[in-house]
Amino acid sequence: MRKLLAHPSLTIGLGATAIFVALALLSLVWTPFPIDQIDVPRRFLGPSAEHWLGTDNLGRDMLSLVMAGAWTSFLVAAIAVVIGIGVGVPLGLAAATWGGPVEWLVLRLSDFIFAFPSVVLAILITTLIGPGATNAVIAIGIFNIPVFARVARGGAMSIATLDYVAAGRLAGLNNAQIAWRHLLPNIMSLLIVQGTIQMSLGILGEAGLSYIGLGTQRPATSLGLMLRDAQGLFLLHPWLSIVPGLAIVLIVIALNLAGDGLRDAIDPKLRQENANALA
Amino acid sequence: MPLLDVSGLTIAFGSSEVVSDISFAVGAGERFGIIGESGSGKTLTSLAIAGLLPDGAQVSGSIKLDEMPLPASEKAMARLRGQRIGMVFQEPMTALNPLMRVNAQIEEAIELNGNSSAKMDVPHLLAEVGLELRHGERYPHQLSGGQRQRVMIAMALASQPDLLIADEPTSALDLITQRKVLDLIAEICSRRHMALLFISHDLKAVARLCTRVAVMHRGQLVETGPATEVFAAPKEAYTQKLVAASRFDLRAQDRAVSDETLLSVDGITREYRQGGMLFWAERPLRAVDDARFAVRQGECLALVGPSGCGKTTLAKMIVGLDRASSGAMQLEGITYHGSDLPSALRRDMSLVFQDPFGSFNPRLTIGASLGEPLRLETGLAADQVRARLVEAVEAVGLHADMLERYPHEFSGGQRQRLAIARALVTRPKLLVLDEPVSALDVSVRGEVLALLSRLQKDFALTYLIISHDLDMVAAMADRVLVMEAGRIIEEGRPEQLFAAPQQKLTRDLVAARLPDIS
Repeated sequence: MRKLLAHPSLTIGLGATAIFVALALLSLVWTPFPIDQIDVPRRFLGPSAEHWLGTDNLGRDMLSLVMAGAWTSFLVAAIAVVIGIGVGVPLGLAAATWGGPVEWLVLRLSDFIFAFPSVVLAILITTLIGPGATNAVIAIGIFNIPVFARVARGGAMSIATLDYVAAGRLAGLNNAQIAWRHLLPNIMSLLIVQGTIQMSLGILGEAGLSYIGLGTQRPATSLGLMLRDAQGLFLLHPWLSIVPGLAIVLIVIALNLAGDGLRDAIDPKLRQENANALA
Repeated sequence: MPLLDVSGLTIAFGSSEVVSDISFAVGAGERFGIIGESGSGKTLTSLAIAGLLPDGAQVSGSIKLDEMPLPASEKAMARLRGQRIGMVFQEPMTALNPLMRVNAQIEEAIELNGNSSAKMDVPHLLAEVGLELRHGERYPHQLSGGQRQRVMIAMALASQPDLLIADEPTSALDLITQRKVLDLIAEICSRRHMALLFISHDLKAVARLCTRVAVMHRGQLVETGPATEVFAAPKEAYTQKLVAASRFDLRAQDRAVSDETLLSVDGITREYRQGGMLFWAERPLRAVDDARFAVRQGECLALVGPSGCGKTTLAKMIVGLDRASSGAMQLEGITYHGSDLPSALRRDMSLVFQDPFGSFNPRLTIGASLGEPLRLETGLAADQVRARLVEAVEAVGLHADMLERYPHEFSGGQRQRLAIARALVTRPKLLVLDEPVSALDVSVRGEVLALLSRLQKDFALTYLIISHDLDMVAAMADRVLVMEAGRIIEEGRPEQLFAAPQQKLTRDLVAARLPDIS
């Protein structure tokens, strides 16, 4: 664990992510001002001691909005990652262990999903069940499925050639048991790294969908929705766009740093374990 | 005046010293060998001499080439490597660029050395390492392991170096190729009057090549001296242990071999479909071609052959990991074709894998891995399972406490013992051993073989050993089958077969055996 934290990009990335998540969680119980408190006379204020990040076009406190919006973004991205792992990983493992027609089907299914732009799919879902955060979760989640399926399949296939998998087969384990007992635990690190990256992509995706009006709807708020509200006023009050925009950028950078750091931290560890075999 | 002078060389990573205070000298044209087991620091020593140590290594002490210390700048070091020091690595596949033809790679090595007439020299180099001109037109994947290693040697020779560093150049090759490559290196060194620094764990290979040797153990130089002296009368305890371990003398124990047939293999064939389009597919590759033999209860049968002859494929079908294309096998009178082996029979047979590092799931405790085959036995209570595990672990000479630990806490030799323990938990009748000791250090090979031979007697086991190591086979087996290109071509008792081989391949195999040291 100490070795993991010695990685600068990992420490910075995880630290910054933790701060954003803490702020987002805090918004559930407390925000400096209620996010639906409209105070029109005090609108378009710059940063001040009272309103750290100023107020928006309706006089709402921007810091409170960013905190609540970050929560929506994290929640949507996290549920989408859970959907991706929950469906994609079993599919990928099944493709790797059964092979043959199962593998073909899983791969073609991922190709099929990859072939659709996410926005088109989101529009499709909107026409079916109406706009909302749930929509964004489903659309992003569906796009996470093939990503995790491929990562799981690739990792599992390289593990499946190892002798302990053959030993498991000799011991009479069936495909599902092999996947659960031998393959899944050994691709966990790959999945964690991919999960971090998909989190950051999910936050971007949520912001994008909310921006075009397909994601989160008022009175709830999200970073993408704040950008949408601010776009008409961009030339007059650029501050309104800069705050949520910067928040998105910082969160995504933090998650990407954490993801890259995790990858670096996990790789040399593997190499070190094999050092004895090489020397 | 020595060509290479290493004095007080110490290499450390952080606080752990991997090589400590090593001093030796190699004269011009001398063939010097460094012997050591895995983790002894021999490879790091060679990398230090070539200036190729990984980042983070702290080096002290001096390395001088022709009285001149090695240059500190990477650029000057690269030039020196190009012109004075040639290197041959263990794994020729990863050391060659897969996208370049062999000719181009050798040419590049010559050009980097500042020679403009590179194209002219390529054929000479190819000829010198025993390759034909047509091999130059090929890509690395189109060559065999031995041919690739020859290409590596040609590239190392391109700069006409004074010193050739060869780090385990033959350990990835099979017996016949290994001998040929060793002979080639010896011949080139004496023809070019080139010094050789040969690094290996294989005492016989070192004895074949080198006039002077150094023995390394845990980062320290244990013993240095002329090869004949060190091998004939080793002074240090560790060297004595190594020399003793290089000979297998188990042989001749009184085991009862019954006339009853345990396993019979009747005309097993395994074909693999090769690439090609749907309708004009190429002729399928026959990995195993009409193999027929029988294993009697209690005997130790060995299957030998060069790499790629199909012996591992055959073993996989016997244990039920793969299915035969045609033919059938009978275990205790029940017919099967490979993966359709009924699970009631599976516990009567187990497989010990070659690589002790890949045969345990790093995320499971040893106990969980060892207990896996017990699923084949229905109706075992938890305490019975535990008793079986303890029995198996103690049978291989390890302690029951080790069941709670994880694989990375064990050495290669211990892991192989644990792999044998896993093979024993179901109390099988037949053990298939796929190269059981070839991935292990020399000093523990003897122990593992002694263990196997004791277990065979104690538990009345039947062994099918798959190997290319004739010395080991001669020490263990009652009967030997020789396999070539999927077919079994010769059969006999080991002493008789190796004394008077009938087939060409068997003769080659026997001839490629390295002479005993001392």
